[in-house]
Amino acid sequence: MTTTFPPGTHQSADDPNVLLDDDFASYEPIPPYPPRTEREAEFYTLDDGEMYLNLGPQHPSTHGVLRVVLKLDGERVVDIDPVLGYLHRGVEKLCENADYHQTISHLDPLEYISSLFCEWGPVMAYEKLLDVRVPRRAEYIRVLSGELNRIASHELFMGWFALDLGGLTPILWAFIERDEIVEMLAALTGARMLFNYFRIGGVNGDLNHDFMSRLGDWMSRAAGQIDSNTRLLNENEIFVRRASGLGVIDTETALKLCMTGANLRATGVPFDVRRAHPYSVYPELDFDIPTRTEGDSLARYLLRMEEVKQSLRIIDQCLEQLPDGPIMAKLPRLIRPRPGRAWAALEGPRGMYGAYAISDGTDQPFRLKIHDPSFIHLQAVGALLPGHLLADTMAIMASLDPIMGGVDK
Amino acid sequence: MDRALKLRLETRFGDILRGAVRQRHDETEIRIGAEDVIDTLRSLYDEPGLGFTMLADLAGVDTGTEMQVVYHLWSATTSDWLRVITIGLSRDDPRIPSVTFLWKGAEWMERETYDMFGIIFEGNRDLRRIYMPPDYTSFPLRKDFYLADDAARSPGGGVRHMERTHEPADALPGTRRAGTGA
Amino acid sequence: MSDEPMPGPGKGPADVTTVGSDQPGNKPDALAVRGATAVAEPIVVRNEFWAAANPLAYDGGRPAEITHLADVEASGIATRDDARWSGILEVIPTKADYVLDLLRANSLWPLLSGLACCAIEMMSYATSKNDIDRFGAFPFRASPRQADVLIVAGTLTTKMAGPLLRLWEQMPEPKWCVAMGDCTVSGGRYKRSYSTVEGIDRIMPVDVYVPGCPPRPEGLIYGMMKLQQLIKDRRGHWPERAVGPTVPTGV
Repeated sequence: MTTTFPPGTHQSADDPNVLLDDDFASYEPIPPYPPRTEREAEFYTLDDGEMYLNLGPQHPSTHGVLRVVLKLDGERVVDIDPVLGYLHRGVEKLCENADYHQTISHLDPLEYISSLFCEWGPVMAYEKLLDVRVPRRAEYIRVLSGELNRIASHELFMGWFALDLGGLTPILWAFIERDEIVEMLAALTGARMLFNYFRIGGVNGDLNHDFMSRLGDWMSRAAGQIDSNTRLLNENEIFVRRASGLGVIDTETALKLCMTGANLRATGVPFDVRRAHPYSVYPELDFDIPTRTEGDSLARYLLRMEEVKQSLRIIDQCLEQLPDGPIMAKLPRLIRPRPGRAWAALEGPRGMYGAYAISDGTDQPFRLKIHDPSFIHLQAVGALLPGHLLADTMAIMASLDPIMGGVDK
Repeated sequence: MDRALKLRLETRFGDILRGAVRQRHDETEIRIGAEDVIDTLRSLYDEPGLGFTMLADLAGVDTGTEMQVVYHLWSATTSDWLRVITIGLSRDDPRIPSVTFLWKGAEWMERETYDMFGIIFEGNRDLRRIYMPPDYTSFPLRKDFYLADDAARSPGGGVRHMERTHEPADALPGTRRAGTGA
Repeated sequence: MSDEPMPGPGKGPADVTTVGSDQPGNKPDALAVRGATAVAEPIVVRNEFWAAANPLAYDGGRPAEITHLADVEASGIATRDDARWSGILEVIPTKADYVLDLLRANSLWPLLSGLACCAIEMMSYATSKNDIDRFGAFPFRASPRQADVLIVAGTLTTKMAGPLLRLWEQMPEPKWCVAMGDCTVSGGRYKRSYSTVEGIDRIMPVDVYVPGCPPRPEGLIYGMMKLQQLIKDRRGHWPERAVGPTVPTGV
């Protein structure tokens, strides 16, 4: 029921009789309890002229539910305190109460943009526990679908990064690209986003006609389309001038912060798990590891776009070299690995995804620890942001490409 | 499986290691006690023959009888991953020195382990909860923290004896059973 | 157990259509429900059959109050802005009501409240291929004060429940809520988890449930079109709807 007030009867905010929901005088200090740690005490003491700004869990940027408390001196950020946990769903605990096969579907929504990589790590760890060799055709299909997912993820990164810098067109173009790739993967896996495609010992379904025709059609256009998307931003002076010099990390800091992926390669370290610790059939594929030395947001963006080109190369080679054979190893229906521990790591679009699985001989994993790159990179924001302006906050966070599902598990 | 790495580790750390150096597939695993964490990891980091400068993961494990903290390290000198398992942390008061002096990135990983298990990392400047709300009192990934399971009577629910819920219909999320420490 | 084989679909004696759906002579309208009306009566379920174990939960069962306007409304100086005739003529809905409902339905501005994976499908529904600009819903407002509909897309955790409820309360009337995705409808795959809310209807009234994990953008379009239909039919009136789990105990 909507109500209107005839003129002269509206009670203004100055009226002491009006009880507002947000009573400014009684705002609780941030945080509403005494600081418990050294760092908290250091952050929550204000110097002269500083103020707190709460970028609440709901905010216009598209990273997800992340709350950042900023300590500002005018427009400059002095310090930040990210508050996580708004999307913590207890995946590791749920995985301890599910069969090995059931955990795979729990792991998809961690980094929902790059679901296949989230599944791949634990699946590799389980295969190590079971001493199972994945058939070569299944490995090639895994690499093929993984690289498609990587391209979709990097395209989305481009869209979000531009959106956080103010550009509204690239995100529409990015979603067009992503929709095409994701419809392809839906023809292969059955789902648009949370694919649930990898299985212990292989993949769920073989390549089919629908997928191959869409893939062929897309591959004939892909290079040109992606090139034109990238040129839209690379040749835009506003974008380049804003992104260059933004959020510079040097090599030493990046290594101390345990960063991986494009964020580390942008600082000059050519570390890619596909070459540093090869897995699957990557040793047989020929691709480069693009690296840059500037360490700023523009370098991270350009690096990811070059990785897209390398992914296209890998897809080409996969299609040429695809062997025949089974797509799934022979495994009993009820998986009961011997007691043991296994760690597996792989290179996804955001960095190094890892999984540590402990088996105690029953049909449920005893412990599954997921290592997520977004979690590590969000830590870096605290080292990067001080000194920048408020408007750069979201841009720097977007350039590190965090996905809150993975950060919060 | 890098046999040379096993030899190097045994000669360097022989007396500190609790148990043999185990290797399987492309992982090498050593076990140490909580008091040796600082020296061992610093040696692994600094010495040029070992050079484990990248911390891949820091995980906590609750085995039911004790707690463990597991570090996964990568080095350019070997083709194996190194897993350092710190054993012997008690379930009532688990304490372990922090590795934030080597890797600043371990701060949040230790916060997560504290939040999920209650393991206190001595030396971490910011050891507070990261996922759960700050006034949460339980540690969810401990084995004595039961998930509310309204289907616990089904054969699929709570296979392990430790996790069998006894009043499933009334259990609320976050309920902790009697007999556990803080 | 009789030893004649079970008749196949469409072959039993009581089946309405005996012909396959791709054959001539098939009568699909034979299966329609007779007596159905176009506009269904709204089902208003008051929260009388379920009570929280903790008597202080859900605000102690008190109805929500907006104290700073209660006496203003009681004094009668406020008038409705639905362009209705007053007094005895109020019962006749006017063309202006219809137009207002059309306006509201065709320019539903959502609030940017994407929490998790469903947010990506919501963004996909907003962008070029499944364009909601043609439904008038493209401006995703960042501020709840300017938004009409809250599409909760993604898992709701207990930590986020407070801020989300605050967003809902900050939205001015008329407002609607769409629960997108299994996690908001019923808890979904995280129903057993220690830190999620099993469905947002535990904390806020929901108008349209869009199931799926995640629902396809076409599914969300269907849900929003259903919402537009609800608005035009003046169903789902907001002040009287129920909050609380709509699943009876014992299930």
